[in-house]
Amino acid sequence: MKIFRKLYVVILLITVLLPTIAVGQAAKEQPLALEPKKLALGATATCENVLSGIPENKAVAFSLALKRVYCYTNFTSVPEKTFTFHNWYFRDNLKASIKLVLRPSRWSTYSAMELRSSDKGPWRVEVTDEEGNILSTQRFSIID
Amino acid sequence: MNDFLANIRWQDVIDIALNSYVLFRFYILFRGTNVLRVLFGLAVIWFAQRLATSMGLIVSSWISQGITAAAALIVVVVFRNEIRAVLQTKNIRGILWELPKKQTTTPIEKIAESAFDMARRHIGALLIIPGKDDLGDIVQHGMQWQGVVSKEMLVSIFWPDNPVHDGAAIVRGSRIEEVGCILPLSTRDDLPSNYGTRHRAALGLAEISDALIILVSEEQGTVAITQNGRLKNIQNPATLEKRLRDHTSLRLGSRSNLLDERIEIVLASVLSIAFTLGIWFSITRGLDTLATYDVPVEYRNRDSAQEIVETSDNTVKLQLSGSRSLLRSISPDQLRVRLNLNKAAVGPNSFSITRDDITLPPGVILKDVQPPFIEVTLDITTERVLPVQVDWVGKLSDRLILTQARPDPATVKVIGASQYLDSLTTIYTEKVSVEGIKRSGSVEVGLAINPAKLRLASGEKRSVTVLYTAKERTPPE
Repeated sequence: MKIFRKLYVVILLITVLLPTIAVGQAAKEQPLALEPKKLALGATATCENVLSGIPENKAVAFSLALKRVYCYTNFTSVPEKTFTFHNWYFRDNLKASIKLVLRPSRWSTYSAMELRSSDKGPWRVEVTDEEGNILSTQRFSIID
Repeated sequence: MNDFLANIRWQDVIDIALNSYVLFRFYILFRGTNVLRVLFGLAVIWFAQRLATSMGLIVSSWISQGITAAAALIVVVVFRNEIRAVLQTKNIRGILWELPKKQTTTPIEKIAESAFDMARRHIGALLIIPGKDDLGDIVQHGMQWQGVVSKEMLVSIFWPDNPVHDGAAIVRGSRIEEVGCILPLSTRDDLPSNYGTRHRAALGLAEISDALIILVSEEQGTVAITQNGRLKNIQNPATLEKRLRDHTSLRLGSRSNLLDERIEIVLASVLSIAFTLGIWFSITRGLDTLATYDVPVEYRNRDSAQEIVETSDNTVKLQLSGSRSLLRSISPDQLRVRLNLNKAAVGPNSFSITRDDITLPPGVILKDVQPPFIEVTLDITTERVLPVQVDWVGKLSDRLILTQARPDPATVKVIGASQYLDSLTTIYTEKVSVEGIKRSGSVEVGLAINPAKLRLASGEKRSVTVLYTAKERTPPE
């Protein structure tokens, strides 16, 4: 229970803090052209860290020593304020479903998972839209 | 008694009758031989062993147990000749149901006439007319003859040029059974000096059996008989005929003996039934014992398109009642619980276990079944294409990052119960170690598929090639 509480705090912090970074970035990159009508996911990656909204060391195998693994998503088109879900699965069991806000017209966001020794094995993160449609699946392993 | 009659089944009647008859036939075939005596001895040893066990006599119990355990072997090895003789001399009818015929047709006149004829011609002869004693262990067997007694045949057997003329001939009923038999010699030292080997042999057998031996002296041209250890010269055929008639009637012919034999057969049949009944009672109607057995549940008549995906229990506990010996003799394959799935539908099904679903050995009574119901979930088999994911393990070099891993093929088609397949999203590879990775490359790896629940569609390979990319980690600035 303690671990879940800790995890919840981490996720909460990320979801609160990230939009500020992302907003700045999005504001900087926002073109003046007509807004696209559909939500479009540009890039997704699992990585060792996200620094200034940029994923660092994208990989498919992460050492437990990193203590945390990140799933980064970059939406190239966000027509309106909406949400995305990062669903973290260990093997076929859902471990966490993280709701992240997306704001027009482009948005980058990420979620992270605290690692424990029992987390070694194959993982996947399903990135879905508000309705639960899978937009992308990232597969990776937690290793020694 | 009423209780017994109410509970006995038709199978029990057949069982008792069949075994009583086998026992009776066994007696008929082997009566008069040592086999029955030894079997009786073994039965006594077995009883002694039970007694010794109940009294706690360790060594006695152990030794008698060893003897009874080897009893079957002892009987077969020691009495192989008797068993062979019974099997060889009797046809299937003789073994299964025929009662031994009265051998009243011993041609006494022919034998007497032949003996005196041979005496006249100075042809030495030894003719054995067996009594009730078994001669199997006393006489060294010669050659099977099985010829009908006739004067000419007897003369030819003992004709000096005949290779078997030196031995004795055994005459049983109207047949000469064996010739060239060697008899034990008498060890008496008070015999007249003119007695030769033939005399000693005749006396030797007469001393240890109830057989009558006709002795024709080659040198003296006389006829004598030996019986009960005594030798008596016979002067004429009539006297010999009388002695032979007395001997054979003692064995077979007289009215009182016929009556005795009938009584013996009736007694044997009654005892056979009583003995079998005793065994049957001790096995089936002993003190009631309760025992519980775990029996695996078998399923039959399943639709081939369906699969059992889940059962509430794989075994059921059968509480059985019966005599202790019967319950102890139960082997696992005698207990079966088989559920009929011909009316089962896809999804959860509940089956109550009825008596018809349970197979028990005869004489055992079912007291309880736990659980009384079995939940069986059936599902239809279906195909699905699932992505393959590499299951990396081990410790990667600190200077490397594994940036990409692509299994080829990226998906596989699998077959399994639809319910199970619906819950499955990924097919994982067997564990792939990262420890040997130094640069990008590929590795062939098998798929980790639970064979009990899943199988690959035809044409799918059991392994995939994983193409991976490794790059040097950028040192922190």
